Amino acid sequence: MNSVAVSSITAPTATTARWADDAKVLADVGLAAQQQLAPAAKRIDEGYYPLDIMASLGQAGAYAGHLDQHGCRFDLSISAMSEISRHCGATGFLTWAHDVCGLYMEQSGNPALLARLGDHTAGLTFGGTGLSNPMKALAGIENMAFKAKKVPGGYSVSGTLPWVSHIAKGQYCGAVAAVDRSDGSRSHEIMFLLDLDERVSLRACPEFSGMEGTSTWAITLVDYFVSEDQMIADPARPFIQRIRGAFVLLQVGIAAGIIQGSIDSMRAVEPTLGHVNQYLHNRPDELQAEFDDLVARTMVLAKTPYEGSKEFFLDVLDVRSQGAELCLKASQSSLLHQGAKGYLMSAAPQRRIREAHFVAIVTPAIKHLRWEMAKQMREEVPA
Amino acid sequence: MSNQFPEWRQYLCRACGLIYDEEKGDPDSGLAPGTRFEDIPDDWECPLCGVTKTDFELFEKPVAAVIEQAENFSSEPGIVVVGAGLAGWAAVDAIRQLDQQVPITLVSACQGDIYHKPELSVAISRGLDKAALIKETGIDAARRLGVQLISSTFVVGITPELNQLRTTRGSLTYTKLILAQGAKPALPKQLPPSLCWRVNDLNSWSGMQQALAKGPQKIAIVGAGMIGCEIAEDFIRAGHQVALLDRNDLPLAGLLPTLASKRLAESLSRLGVDYRGNDEITEITELPNGQKQIHFKRGNTLDVDQVLAATGLMTDNRIARHAGLDFERGIKVDMNTLQTSEPDIYALGDCISIQGTPCRFIEPIKHQAKSIAHAILEHDSRGYEHSTPVVRLKTRSLPVVINGLPVADVAWTLIYEDAETLIMEQTIENQLVAHLKVGSGSQTQAA
Repeated sequence: MNSVAVSSITAPTATTARWADDAKVLADVGLAAQQQLAPAAKRIDEGYYPLDIMASLGQAGAYAGHLDQHGCRFDLSISAMSEISRHCGATGFLTWAHDVCGLYMEQSGNPALLARLGDHTAGLTFGGTGLSNPMKALAGIENMAFKAKKVPGGYSVSGTLPWVSHIAKGQYCGAVAAVDRSDGSRSHEIMFLLDLDERVSLRACPEFSGMEGTSTWAITLVDYFVSEDQMIADPARPFIQRIRGAFVLLQVGIAAGIIQGSIDSMRAVEPTLGHVNQYLHNRPDELQAEFDDLVARTMVLAKTPYEGSKEFFLDVLDVRSQGAELCLKASQSSLLHQGAKGYLMSAAPQRRIREAHFVAIVTPAIKHLRWEMAKQMREEVPA
Repeated sequence: MSNQFPEWRQYLCRACGLIYDEEKGDPDSGLAPGTRFEDIPDDWECPLCGVTKTDFELFEKPVAAVIEQAENFSSEPGIVVVGAGLAGWAAVDAIRQLDQQVPITLVSACQGDIYHKPELSVAISRGLDKAALIKETGIDAARRLGVQLISSTFVVGITPELNQLRTTRGSLTYTKLILAQGAKPALPKQLPPSLCWRVNDLNSWSGMQQALAKGPQKIAIVGAGMIGCEIAEDFIRAGHQVALLDRNDLPLAGLLPTLASKRLAESLSRLGVDYRGNDEITEITELPNGQKQIHFKRGNTLDVDQVLAATGLMTDNRIARHAGLDFERGIKVDMNTLQTSEPDIYALGDCISIQGTPCRFIEPIKHQAKSIAHAILEHDSRGYEHSTPVVRLKTRSLPVVINGLPVADVAWTLIYEDAETLIMEQTIENQLVAHLKVGSGSQTQAA
């Protein structure tokens, strides 16, 4: 992949022509994942933030497919994310964060953000998503962390937002703030691209048991001015309502890679350990069959990522939830299949156990997904 | 490869299971592809765990055959039933009649409490509440019948190829699946669910019952079908004011001949029901005082305390769509075996359609359940024989009984008529298709 094509991507013709071939993108992403990511996975798990490798993946086209300007190929983005996650779940998660950040920028329709999208897509600049708290706040699970006040030319935002990944000084992320009226009642919410410049303080989070290389911080803002150029959506709710299916659907890519990687590890020891592994539950063929079904259903949904029906959203929650469950099952079985070899600190199966649990608890966690599905299924009755 | 050239061998690290393949070597530690094991220096370390070559042994693929299981071990949970209404419990009951041991899991969106659904349309005037209607709690019934009840749980997806059912509390594997999901109220878009009660199950009925228990109220019932007419009488007898709204001139116009509908309209009117036919609702809004305002096409409005939608039922197609089941106004089943288009999936009750027609009555359910239980447990049986059940309208002031299935646009013949009783019949090519008796007189078909 040509790494000097940086300036050319601003020209629309070049943008559409680049990464047009799905097979080539997947081959290039797979190669970069195998050659660069796989050897670094342990280091990333322990804390190395792999921006250099992410840049290579961006050049290979890992972050483009799902964008409208690249043909709204959600299937390609999910498959690319899966290839990445197959070798390193943490980088798979970073890829998802990067992908949805690009999606916010593009779907905002804000010319100032669209002008920045090319660099983002190519992996020349990086940004994540701070939507875990807002998604839960809008679902009624917790309170909104950021508060905004209208000021001339924009908004002034304050508050502390914990657990935001794929950010660092000089980077950016999607963020949501609640706008309250003078009497304290909620007026609406705004969504904006938060530039992590000198006005912002980042505080390290306590150490996680894995996936430490995701560069996860708590963000504190004090009267941070949000300009029109940073605005993604005002009001935010219709925008979030529109993109929430796509947001959740893309996450299936993280799970898919961990599941496939787990099955790979089980098959790898079949010649040496098959004679005893046959006594285990959840054999590779059985998991593969469930995985293939999951992928097939996901790829159908990926054709219409912005469909607004309740049925579609339920189907998305269903694949996301099944993905998390299968991750847990496959990663555990993979470790049992590999035995002590998989339990080594350097081994992928024990790392995937932690990655799988991350998929199961990251927003929306399995419990949130089930809660939301039950809410969607319940019939509304008069109060 | 020449005959003289020995085959590449593989060596297994006894410590960690890594395989050293002579053909591939270990370039990372300086062993070029093709390096024979005996040529490896003694200080070479296992790239994975660090032991030396003395801890390696020649690897020969174990001879023990891997026996793949025909059934996945985790598919043990047995029969899964979706829905704990009359149909779901009937299925469980029928299976237990034949087999006390087979594992059964019952997944229910509600609590699974057992009640007699037809009672819902006469219970308000009898002063009953939810607790009084429950014959046995779901928990007690589950214990009695030895089933695992998973209540307050929705089914979100099925993959028949994997015999997998996904719910809001996780996934289940089934050997056989019985769908008894029921039907749900079909609400036209003019009737917002947040403003209109429905009474298709105990929980929604109970919400309305509690609202009505506060004292006599003005209620609009939308839809003068069987449920609408029955409930109109029930509410009147309970002391409420009732307006019964329908698109048609007369109640039950889709089912009964005009002569019969007129008698029903007169009977409802004598009771005090304000029947308002021949108009359509355009919108329902909530007034500041909490009343609901119904807007009609002709421009008039009606303010009421409660609105009840009795606008018919439909089968939700989500499960069928996921499972790829044939669906036509309901889950299509074989009329003899109740099997759906998927071999391991059966269905019964309000959710099915037989030859394209749903059949939402109580009477056939136990026969359907019995047939399914016999089929699943591979017991001999003649199977289910579908016949249209007798329909009795629970309008005490004017009983209505229909034998057979009336056909729209076929003329009715008057058989008998007096002040108390009306008997009519529909025939097609001299074959009786429907017999109707309205009123409480003693005249019979022979009269």
